[in-house]
Amino acid sequence: MAEAIPTPGSSAALRWQLRQTVELTARTLEMTFPRQGRSAAARRALATQMHSVGNRSMPFMVVTMAFIGAIISFQTALQSQEILPDLSQVGATFTKLLVRDLAASVGALPLATRVGAGIAAEIGSMVVTEQVDALRMNNADPVETLVVPRFVACVVMGTVVLVIGGFVAFGAGVVVGQLAFGIEARTFASTALLNGGDVALGLAKCATYGGAIALVSSERGLSAFGGSEGVGRATTEAVVGSCFAIIVLNVLLSTAGYFLLPAL
Amino acid sequence: MSPGARGLALPAFLGRQALALLTQIGGLALLARDLGRAARPESGGLDRVELLRHLYRMGVRSVPVVAATAAFTGGIMVLQAAPFVEQFGAKDFVGFFATFVTFRELGPLLIGLIFNGRVGANNTAELATMVVTEQVDGLRALAIDPVSYLVLPRVVAMTLTMVALVVLGDAVALLGALGVAHVLLDVTFAQFLDSALSRLESWDLLVGLLKALLFGVGIALASCFYGLRVRGGAPGVGRAVNASVVASAAGIFITDYLSTFLLP
Amino acid sequence: MHAGKWYSPGVPSSAPAELRPETGVAVELRRIMLAFGAKAVLRDLDLRLEAGRIHALIGPPAVGKSATLKLMAGLLRPDGGEVHVLGQRIDTLAERALGPVRARMGMLFQNNALFDVSVGENVAFPLRRGDASLSEAAIAERVAERLAKVALPGLETRQPRDLSGGQKKRVGLARATVADVALVLYDEPTAGLDPVTSQKIYDLVKGEQRATGGTAVVVSSDVGGVLTIADHVVMLHEGRVVFEGTAHDARASPIPVVHQFVHGTLEGPL
Repeated sequence: MAEAIPTPGSSAALRWQLRQTVELTARTLEMTFPRQGRSAAARRALATQMHSVGNRSMPFMVVTMAFIGAIISFQTALQSQEILPDLSQVGATFTKLLVRDLAASVGALPLATRVGAGIAAEIGSMVVTEQVDALRMNNADPVETLVVPRFVACVVMGTVVLVIGGFVAFGAGVVVGQLAFGIEARTFASTALLNGGDVALGLAKCATYGGAIALVSSERGLSAFGGSEGVGRATTEAVVGSCFAIIVLNVLLSTAGYFLLPAL
Repeated sequence: MSPGARGLALPAFLGRQALALLTQIGGLALLARDLGRAARPESGGLDRVELLRHLYRMGVRSVPVVAATAAFTGGIMVLQAAPFVEQFGAKDFVGFFATFVTFRELGPLLIGLIFNGRVGANNTAELATMVVTEQVDGLRALAIDPVSYLVLPRVVAMTLTMVALVVLGDAVALLGALGVAHVLLDVTFAQFLDSALSRLESWDLLVGLLKALLFGVGIALASCFYGLRVRGGAPGVGRAVNASVVASAAGIFITDYLSTFLLP
Repeated sequence: MHAGKWYSPGVPSSAPAELRPETGVAVELRRIMLAFGAKAVLRDLDLRLEAGRIHALIGPPAVGKSATLKLMAGLLRPDGGEVHVLGQRIDTLAERALGPVRARMGMLFQNNALFDVSVGENVAFPLRRGDASLSEAAIAERVAERLAKVALPGLETRQPRDLSGGQKKRVGLARATVADVALVLYDEPTAGLDPVTSQKIYDLVKGEQRATGGTAVVVSSDVGGVLTIADHVVMLHEGRVVFEGTAHDARASPIPVVHQFVHGTLEGPL
């Protein structure tokens, strides 16, 4: 603990962050399913976090996903016009892309911005005001008390929020298809191209992104040092780190999906 | 709450939220007006030293993360489209498709979000810390206008940097896209380039840069606004950063939506 | 100053019925080396703190007083040397193994470190971590008794953000002493408080230690105030102990750094 914390922004700092995040992931997963079951306080903490990640993100995510859905639908239709003779397939293609990837991957970015910043700010403030030290003095493991509820909440509620967001985006897409390209709602709202693999991959992405947001942001919060400046830095790095982790995980999951759960 | 007022709970809540939103938008507008005033030569104009310092910190230091993100994003985009390209035999369109989507949508959007998370959040954190440690009051006591000295150079720097980073990001994203297209679809560099150049208009690139400009200004204004408005110590800084990134993200998506539909 | 308002000898103390004056050595630091990055903070520090006494740790700012306290709490690990607390060597123990020792320690942090829950929940927190055999009623009773002891009766439902600095400090004190602890660490308990409130806090610290017979270690920059309650004074300078003795000895010490610091004069090595 008395080791020097690497200068923020250096490559040594990045390697440190990566190592810490991996270690945190291992410890969190280990403590997610406690053998003795959860205490009342732990269940309350979990409920609070679920509310924070889920309910409190909904307004922002609904608005964002509506816009995202509209934009994606518009661009997909526009591109298809060049390649295909008619626009009958656009809806089905849009739906497939949305479920398989875009609802999760594009939606996770604003979610990471909102939830990631919140987690890092909360945990970071607790660290610099010595509340985490106080927890340790009372034999409360900070990972168990602070990180596990947020991790579970982000995986579960993150998936819920992104799925709901996906529906909102879908709706927006249908509207745009009708208004901008004259595609009948019935034609557009087609699940013809959708297969089980798409749904599985989409859900896997939602859960993974949720977990990544929680872990990256919690690690940055726990590593905060240096008063209010440290909290600000932790929050910044949490958002960037979460977004970047989502993009990297997207590459990994999409590549796996390309080979294991083929699209067509 | 009195029994009669209970029925007004929901409207009251919505009203409060609406007022809060309007107050913030009003505050942003006032800040923009103050900036306009500060930029006039009579008021001292732009502090060149500060501008250069910010350009370096915000621009140069963001290059690695933007480049990495852009490369992955370009690759993912082609990865997602690959099954459709194969099915519809549209290899000639890959170059155009990748370039079009990158320039007009993904480039500005993704880089905007990363920029928001990195530079926007950092900026808010810095300004918030300065307020909390009474440095801003110190400036005022020395008859230095915080808006001229602190905010204006940052806004200008962030806008310029954002545009520059989008240009860089676009280039790297296309390389990523080309790489994946080559590996998965056997598209050659010549094919890619030809496809892009033959159908792309310079307008497409300009739209993307215009979006980058708008995003840059939005992120800059919002991050400075929330930074200066901070209340409370270290936790307050965390909250300010949180509010700033969320507001900027929402602004990005709304602006993106409006541009997509208003710019042909 | 010792009137009933701040120290109520009539209210039963939180320790078991018979006074257990601790004997022996409560804390021992041997040849401690501690550095933050390139900066060496503690060099070859040796310290033995007897049980059952109030020890004051004084010295110039950034000399490592809070760091020393955190070494005792196991929150920091030394780069070299040994840390023994309550008869057990702790610097080689893993975090989880520190449980039993920490169960017998309480700590008051510089900024109180109160959690974002009610005052009552804050004070009850240490009681919930230990043995789960305490009933809710017993916990509530103990919390009420502690709050009365620090002259904040009935404030269980208030939120820390609604309290004044002095009140928050007293809640922190209540939380640090609510469990059956043998060693209490106080990190700058009077920082930012006015002289009257500061003295009241010191009286609480002394009252608590005398009532339980435990050990108190107080880090303070308020030399005048802390010397009024200290049984044993230790001064740190340049990473080492430069003085140890009673408060009287501290005031009379001819050592230049000690003399200058204790009397707050401008001339001297500091």
